[in-house]
Amino acid sequence: MIFSELYSAYYNTVAYVLKTAVKHPLNKNELRSIIEKNAFGESILNIEPAFAEERWQLIRSDGSTSLEHSPSMPMTNLEKQWIKAIYADPRIRLFVDEEDIFPEVKPLFTASDYSVFDKYSDGDPYEDDTYKRTFRLILDAIEKRYPLSIDSTNQKEKLTQMILMPEYLEYSEKDDKFRLRGSGCRYVYTVNLSRIVSCKPYTKPFEINRGKTVLHEMNTVEFELIDKRNALERILLHFAHFKKQAERIDTDRYRVTISYDKDDENEMVIRILSFGPMIRVTAPQHFVGLIKERLINQKSCEH
Amino acid sequence: MAYSELIKNFNRIRDYMREFYVYGFKRRNEYNKKSARSYDDERRRLESWLGDYMQFRQTLDGKTVFLSIDSRVSHHNPLYTAWKAKSFTDGDITLHFILFDILNSPDIVLTLNELTDAIDKYLNSFNEPRMFDPSTVRKKLKEYVSEGIIVSERRGKTVYYRRSDSVDFSDSNILDFFSEVAPCGVIGSYLLDKIDAHDEHFAFKHHYITGAMDSEIICLLFIAMSEKRNITMKTINRHNDRISENLVTPLRIMISAQNGRQYLMAYTPRFKRISSFRTDNIVSVKLGKVSDRFDELREKLDDILPHVWGVSTQGNSGKQMEHVEFTVKYSDSEEYIHKRLEREKRCGFVEKIDEYTSRFTADVFDASELVPWIRTFICRITDLSFSNKTLENQFRNDIEKMYQLYGIDIGENK
Repeated sequence: MIFSELYSAYYNTVAYVLKTAVKHPLNKNELRSIIEKNAFGESILNIEPAFAEERWQLIRSDGSTSLEHSPSMPMTNLEKQWIKAIYADPRIRLFVDEEDIFPEVKPLFTASDYSVFDKYSDGDPYEDDTYKRTFRLILDAIEKRYPLSIDSTNQKEKLTQMILMPEYLEYSEKDDKFRLRGSGCRYVYTVNLSRIVSCKPYTKPFEINRGKTVLHEMNTVEFELIDKRNALERILLHFAHFKKQAERIDTDRYRVTISYDKDDENEMVIRILSFGPMIRVTAPQHFVGLIKERLINQKSCEH
Repeated sequence: MAYSELIKNFNRIRDYMREFYVYGFKRRNEYNKKSARSYDDERRRLESWLGDYMQFRQTLDGKTVFLSIDSRVSHHNPLYTAWKAKSFTDGDITLHFILFDILNSPDIVLTLNELTDAIDKYLNSFNEPRMFDPSTVRKKLKEYVSEGIIVSERRGKTVYYRRSDSVDFSDSNILDFFSEVAPCGVIGSYLLDKIDAHDEHFAFKHHYITGAMDSEIICLLFIAMSEKRNITMKTINRHNDRISENLVTPLRIMISAQNGRQYLMAYTPRFKRISSFRTDNIVSVKLGKVSDRFDELREKLDDILPHVWGVSTQGNSGKQMEHVEFTVKYSDSEEYIHKRLEREKRCGFVEKIDEYTSRFTADVFDASELVPWIRTFICRITDLSFSNKTLENQFRNDIEKMYQLYGIDIGENK
């Protein structure tokens, strides 16, 4: 089953400890540093005495081990079944060409067993050969750190060219799209992979703008929510993926502060609107203004 | 019982993680379901596992503890950590590493007695050597055979054991990506724990991580569906903490990319209908008999889904189907609005009335599920009609309330 000590941080940590101990007797500092690196905050209080008191008879008092080989464990059925299942996902072809893995294993799930029912319908074309080639080239460039020359269409279907050092790929399950974040000479770029027309390694000298960071510029929005029609749960779950703070200010009223990417302000506005009168934005004023503007426009539609 | 950072049962910590991560406004004395000591223990565990994400806020009324995670920044779901905290006995861990050291290659094949003797030799050099009797070793081997990491083979009256063949799977890109986007991604995280540290090349936007807490339930549901079995499941009603038991045929897991909720669509023979159950309200799942109606019921689900916006298969109007339509206007530079309707609709139809106007229509079981989406078009809705008039009135009243909330009157409109 999923919840098993076989996958636990303790078993993994002990495997690392023994991996070193089969090479040479461990000293206390080595042991502590392995535990700190691989286990939880308080694990040192448990693992170190367990060895010292010989409750786990794997390391002797002199730091040596009775084991002869570096520890290893074969893959479990569950792990194989999960890998088998992801090999049926169309997105796996972005990484590998082979169709099957573990022919004798039954997948943990199939496409008929689950569905992401509210993702948008214009997701990226994962089966398209050009898209796959672009994806793989970008991933290679990220791994090996070389710049790319990219031609891409913008939202107005105009062709734009950029030279950038690719930093990472960002995937949105809701949009079902990959975006590339990269640093250019002057700007930080976000490029939708499906909009890329041409992508090739850039071989001339290239220097990125060190002053610009690929980290997102964050804004905050503060709102009050009124807990009617199960709004508290719906709203906090909906905004759960953001860094946020919630506090109760009255029996059925809460104040929520959310940090969001400045570039996604429009999306944030409509997400807040989707909760209707259960949310009242209180700060900052310019955000309140954005909501009011939409409501004023709506009112004008009714006449 | 003395505090331990490891746990035997996942359900209690599942509730606390949800409280700390999703809500995060409760103070210690508000966790009244369990004892104060239980709260202290669970909080301490979460601090130990997820220290970097735990935050505290001191107010006049007391201290609140919460988990603050921006899932767009963290490359991996931090909540997976909880699944790696299963408790075990001193004997379990000792036996585990010794067994695999003895059976260090699939070519080594030993009987139970040979294994027990070999284990003794490993332990002799300790001051007070442990003794594992053959029945303990046999039990552990049996457990490992069912996990697929040991293979047993009977030759005559004797059973022989060897380790399973090793399979290498260490593609960090595949594991990094799918451990975050595939169901039961925690299994990918387990595999990642076994490979060397590496640079991360993926980040995730709109990434809901709460589903991780339901991984075991989802896994059991997948097993039930793959074997076409009925299940008996216990679900909790979070408003009154009442637990009920249902016999159902599980048909599909429905995952929302827009709010992170996961649902089980299942047929309940008692009510003779297919309905949805939130997986975070499922407390336990017990596999039952094979259902001879599984294929037929799944086909029935496929037939009704074109009329389901979210997961609800029944509205509150009493009518079998509810009609929804609304019209939006847009300007020259807002052609994307029509595209938005097209790409965001999950069922129904979008038609272009003229150059600057589009209409959406749908017949669904529960029109209330569309309301949040329709509200995202506020500022351009020119016409709206629901066959469920109570719902339509509520929609209009809600918009009026919003005008009031932001002090918008007709004067401001001009």
